[in-house]
Amino acid sequence: MAASSKFISEWWLQRISAVIVAAYVFLVLALLMIYGTPNAVQWQSLFANVGFKLATILTIIATAYHGLVGSLHVWPDYVKNRAVLSVLNAYTWVAAIAVVLWATYILFGLK
Amino acid sequence: MSDTPLAKARARPVYRNIGFGDLAHYRLPIPGIASIVHRVTGLAMFVCLLFLLAMLQMSLKSEAGFEAFRSVVWGNPIAKLVLIGLMFALIYHLVAGIRHMIQDANVWLDLATARTSAFAVFGISVVLTALVVWRLM
Repeated sequence: MAASSKFISEWWLQRISAVIVAAYVFLVLALLMIYGTPNAVQWQSLFANVGFKLATILTIIATAYHGLVGSLHVWPDYVKNRAVLSVLNAYTWVAAIAVVLWATYILFGLK
Repeated sequence: MSDTPLAKARARPVYRNIGFGDLAHYRLPIPGIASIVHRVTGLAMFVCLLFLLAMLQMSLKSEAGFEAFRSVVWGNPIAKLVLIGLMFALIYHLVAGIRHMIQDANVWLDLATARTSAFAVFGISVVLTALVVWRLM
């Protein structure tokens, strides 16, 4: 029971995080299509905008979660060696957490 | 019961998971290829995330950093090819993900539609990636 409800919430969160990332990707690609390749000033002022910072960190968190759950489900289908699998799972957790922390630093702590 | 020959029972085929050695004998149908590419593109992006953040930091640190990214990374043909590959991975994973979520609603599941939509995912991703790369040149 607990396992199945965990699976269902994971299933939903995987799709909700996907929709968040997709919305952000559509936004950035639309900006690229409309304005073309940015120069340094345009690029850095886009990332100086607080609304864009918040959208970016939300997307990074959704990406890290989506990648964490996806990777943890996919590795065991191909990697049968338990030791190698543990290393990959540990790497996946560390990478997901590191991505969120580092992106927070880049967006809110840089300079 | 007793009239069933033992030899016939023993001749029944055995179904197992296939290993790498068996792969050459199997031709994966297009929806299967679409599925495996969805997995591969997802893993590839996840593994590259930290490198992408390094590039983001470089591009946001200063104007000189942005120009350094343009000349050192984007100016390097191999790095550029990898980044274009990742752009394809992102667009493919997104388009295939939309197909996946449509199928979650229990539609497009018959074989003919599943084949058509799998082909469409490849076609749409290639065109969109070409469009984005053209805009970045």
